[in-house]
Amino acid sequence: MNIIGPDALVFGVDDVEACSQYVTDYGLEPKGNGRFEALDGTAVIVLPKDDPTLPAPLATGTSLRKTVYGVADQQTLDAIAAELGKDREVKQLDDGSLEAVDDLGFVLGFQVTVRKALSLAAEVVNAPGSSALRPVNTVGVQKEASPKPRSLSHVVYFVPDFAKAEAFYADRLGFVTTDRFHHVGPFMRPAGTDDHHTLFFIQTPPHMQGIEHFTFHMGGPTEVMQAGTNMVNKGYQSFWGPGRHLFGSNWFWYFKSPFGCNMEYDADMDLHDDNWTARELPPGADNSQAFLFQYREKWAPMGPPPGK
Amino acid sequence: MRQTVPLCHLDDLADGSAKGFDPQHQGSDTVFIVRSGDKVFAYEDKCPHYRGQTSLPWRKDAYLDPFGETIVCAAHGAHFEIATGLCTAGPCLGESLTRVPLQIRDDGCVLAELNDNNVGGESP
Ligand code: FES
Ligand SMILES: [Fe+2]
Repeated sequence: MNIIGPDALVFGVDDVEACSQYVTDYGLEPKGNGRFEALDGTAVIVLPKDDPTLPAPLATGTSLRKTVYGVADQQTLDAIAAELGKDREVKQLDDGSLEAVDDLGFVLGFQVTVRKALSLAAEVVNAPGSSALRPVNTVGVQKEASPKPRSLSHVVYFVPDFAKAEAFYADRLGFVTTDRFHHVGPFMRPAGTDDHHTLFFIQTPPHMQGIEHFTFHMGGPTEVMQAGTNMVNKGYQSFWGPGRHLFGSNWFWYFKSPFGCNMEYDADMDLHDDNWTARELPPGADNSQAFLFQYREKWAPMGPPPGK
Repeated sequence: MRQTVPLCHLDDLADGSAKGFDPQHQGSDTVFIVRSGDKVFAYEDKCPHYRGQTSLPWRKDAYLDPFGETIVCAAHGAHFEIATGLCTAGPCLGESLTRVPLQIRDDGCVLAELNDNNVGGESP
């Protein structure tokens, strides 16, 4: 099933103004009607909680109301409609997309992807021995920069039964498990992308079901650091990071948000194909990151020389 | 060891608002006060979800929902009662924020009784 990845996340929130300002400061482009886009057209949609166009919320009150997947073509949409139609209602919405509910109660949308092909360089580093270097006389970093999120990367759900979730996405939608944390849950990618994960589950008690975090891909680690520093300077509060994950190798920096979930920046995620064998590790601090740093205000060792 | 530290004046706290403080100069807020009518409540700025390793707000002083009715941890949306600190929804359901005892002097000065370990949230 040629699902490419999440095209949009739809939220119903208490404070539309705060959430809209937040995602704008995060670097998404306001497009009107609550839509905020990354460079490739993937988006976050921010609507008031009681907006009549929103699907019903989960009983837990999580602000995520719908995860919309982009698929390769109409044929894939038809295949999804046929597959999910076997045991549940599949709505055909006016915009041509499909809507159905997964085995845990998360509302899903499917549409022919809106993703625009991007042609942008990744961060290039200079290193002795490497043939891929920045062109000579090209500087690597600017003092001020506002890097833009490129593409909606992944969403993480708290779920009451990760095995049930994994089975649904694998058996019904063709997702592949790339790695897993024992008793916590799998990292999964749909068949239409090489990204290490677009979806990750964390096992929790049922009253927690909902979104844990979501993130967009940045152009490289420097962009994660600079975008995160901009967030700190605007008064937003870090939750975890910056650092680099082990599973997926992605650089990360998480911030708390008025959505009642964390929002992350990530960069340089591993790519996998069907030759990859999923690894499994126990969860915990040691296995979830290669290293972790904490933000500190700019400082330099300067001042008068020490007295005699 | 316990110490009594002045945090602010009652007039600095608008009704229905919250404010964070860093009385022990940790570099980020470790205690917050919520004012509700003529009552004030103070708690350590540590969410019980990850055993107190993280702080609550998404922006400085953003401890309350937009209606000023409940304390919220922005990381995963836990809700806590203003008057008791009890988590009524979200990951740490049934657990509570840690109360910080306050003294209010006649001149309106608000003091907190702190343990030396009232340190703030770090990343997990
Ligand atoms: S850290 Fe507070 S709700 Fe998760
Ligand atoms: Fe992530």
